[in-house]
Amino acid sequence: MTDFMNYLILGLTRGSMYALIALGYTLVYGVLQLINFAHSEVFMSGAFGSYAIVHLLVGDGKATPSWAVPLVLLAGMVSGALLAAVIAWALERVAYRPLRKRGAPKLAFLISAIGASFFLSQLFGKLFGRLTSNSFPEFFDQNAVIFKPFGAEVRVLQIVIVASAVAMMIFLDRLVTLTKLGRSIRAISEDAPTAALMGIDIDKTISRTFVIGGLLGGAAGFLFGLNFSFGNTMGFIPGVKAFAAAVLGGIGNIRGAMIGGLLLGIVENLVPVVNIDTKWTDVVAFVVLVLVLMFRPTGILGERLGRAA
Amino acid sequence: MALSACSNSSDDNEGPGLPGGSTGNNPGGNASKTYKIGWQGPLSGDNQQLGINEANGSRLAVKEANDKGDLGFKLVMVESDDVGTADKAPAAAAKLLQDADILGVVGPAFSGPTSATGKTYAAANMGLISGSATNATLTSSGFTTFHRVVPTDGVEGTQLAEWLAKKFKTVFVVDDTSTYGKGVADVVRKTLTEKGVKITNQGVAANTQDYGAIAQRVTQSKAEALFYGGYDAQSALFAKALAASGYKGLKMTGNGGKSSVFTSGAGAAGNGWYFACGCQDATTAPESKAFAEAYEKMFNTPPSTYSPESYDATNALIAALKAAVKTTNGNPTRKSVVEEIDKLDIPGITTQLKFADNGEVANATVNLYTQKDGKIVMLGKMQDQA
Repeated sequence: MTDFMNYLILGLTRGSMYALIALGYTLVYGVLQLINFAHSEVFMSGAFGSYAIVHLLVGDGKATPSWAVPLVLLAGMVSGALLAAVIAWALERVAYRPLRKRGAPKLAFLISAIGASFFLSQLFGKLFGRLTSNSFPEFFDQNAVIFKPFGAEVRVLQIVIVASAVAMMIFLDRLVTLTKLGRSIRAISEDAPTAALMGIDIDKTISRTFVIGGLLGGAAGFLFGLNFSFGNTMGFIPGVKAFAAAVLGGIGNIRGAMIGGLLLGIVENLVPVVNIDTKWTDVVAFVVLVLVLMFRPTGILGERLGRAA
Repeated sequence: MALSACSNSSDDNEGPGLPGGSTGNNPGGNASKTYKIGWQGPLSGDNQQLGINEANGSRLAVKEANDKGDLGFKLVMVESDDVGTADKAPAAAAKLLQDADILGVVGPAFSGPTSATGKTYAAANMGLISGSATNATLTSSGFTTFHRVVPTDGVEGTQLAEWLAKKFKTVFVVDDTSTYGKGVADVVRKTLTEKGVKITNQGVAANTQDYGAIAQRVTQSKAEALFYGGYDAQSALFAKALAASGYKGLKMTGNGGKSSVFTSGAGAAGNGWYFACGCQDATTAPESKAFAEAYEKMFNTPPSTYSPESYDATNALIAALKAAVKTTNGNPTRKSVVEEIDKLDIPGITTQLKFADNGEVANATVNLYTQKDGKIVMLGKMQDQA
């Protein structure tokens, strides 16, 4: 039981990061019916944005007084989210909007996304060096155990990650349900031409959707860097996994992306429990994905952003 | 740095501080002649730090050979980046093979790239001397021109497993499924099993970022010791995850994990890790004192893992090239260089540069290291450890 709980906690931590990234895929798919494959690099840029600011503020972090640590972390997360949002916004402007204006086929968007993805990855490699093992300073004993449900150990970092992810997901859910922007996003995902007739500015809404996705992805990049390490190629695997999570939950569905992300994280971390060699983790995760899609081809919560949120 | 000068091609730059044409102070030698050697290893990508350590060692050897003045020709090294991966290796090898002036190659640095290109190099009679490709099968795969100055993973794995077996009854063995990582882990598994140690086996993909689950698995198994077969950046992540999961047993990895990337990446979590490495600690060993000083002067950083081995490999190739120039009256071929490599018997700073028929270095030692207070220190020869 204790072991199971330990793995479950690890799974929740990983899953909440997947969920944050998956939201970026799902939001963009909702308004454009397009998979933004460069979103994994938006996520990556978040880690570097945070790193630059944290490094600027406290250097290697050894002299940071403990009262300042939450502020530094907050500044890191905000700056990472902002940089990622700027990049997501620019991506829409440079890689997608010109194609949309010319009525390009969907495949052209895909190629454009892959190109942008390579460009961003290489650009950050050039700017920050190509090491995969960059890491944030250790401000506190990240391995201090906070509490022990069923004997399992919950650590500071895990609480930071899960709590900030859940807060952001609730915020997004409320944003989409209650605000005018949220209504526009839902309207466009439901039926873009009619939404335009009703006076919704499609371009502006799409732009803002990219920005929201970027903010969440950037924050996820920061959390990921805090927990593991980061580099210019870090985006690919979490990106693919988060995309799978979005599909698992039902692409275009916001709550679906959250559920899909958490579920995928948990499935991956429960692999050792059933005594399967951990090198098969990705295989198991994708087998589960395929099985779910066989019975529910539209994902767990099914269909479109407009209806379920 | 520009190291691709050449006397007969117009688009290459001259090396720094090495004016073309005769220097005029080498009576007897034709100093206006230029010969090239190649270098293959990772200069970008995940494992670039190991590659840079090695390239620097080789650059120093080439610079010293040119500065000494008794070479009789001008030596130029052409560097080719294979990113340390087997899929990029053929292109990197082609770059060196297509340049007809290149007469021998230092490298490839990693085992994967070596297995991917060993046949091609052999077919072109291009002599290879690697300072770090340690997979045991490389010298039995028909790569007739391959040589190395380091002991194989077979030797390293056997010795470190024997050491573990002296102390522990249960060992958890993890590998990163790469040519190097799995190779050394397999040897460790085999030796431990022979010695009656109970082992648990797991693999993790080499590009894993989250080691949480596998670390939890190791802790849960209550194994007395852990061996990880893989490279430095990944070992560092694993070290952090193990510390987070509260693992108390002994942690150990092979030569691929011993580098500054590990120490900086793992931070405090890396303290107490052990490393088995068929490599020399150039900062402390008396044989390599002059080398360490020259290295630090040239690159503003102390030599790191495989810098001295690469320096030795390069010096071996230079000595062979020099001999080939002499025996062929100034018309050395790739084949004549390989023949001279096989005849070598000169002292290096890490080992005697003498190769057996299969290309293995004649006598090789494996050393034990540990990380203390954020620094990797050498404890001595593996065989001498209690």
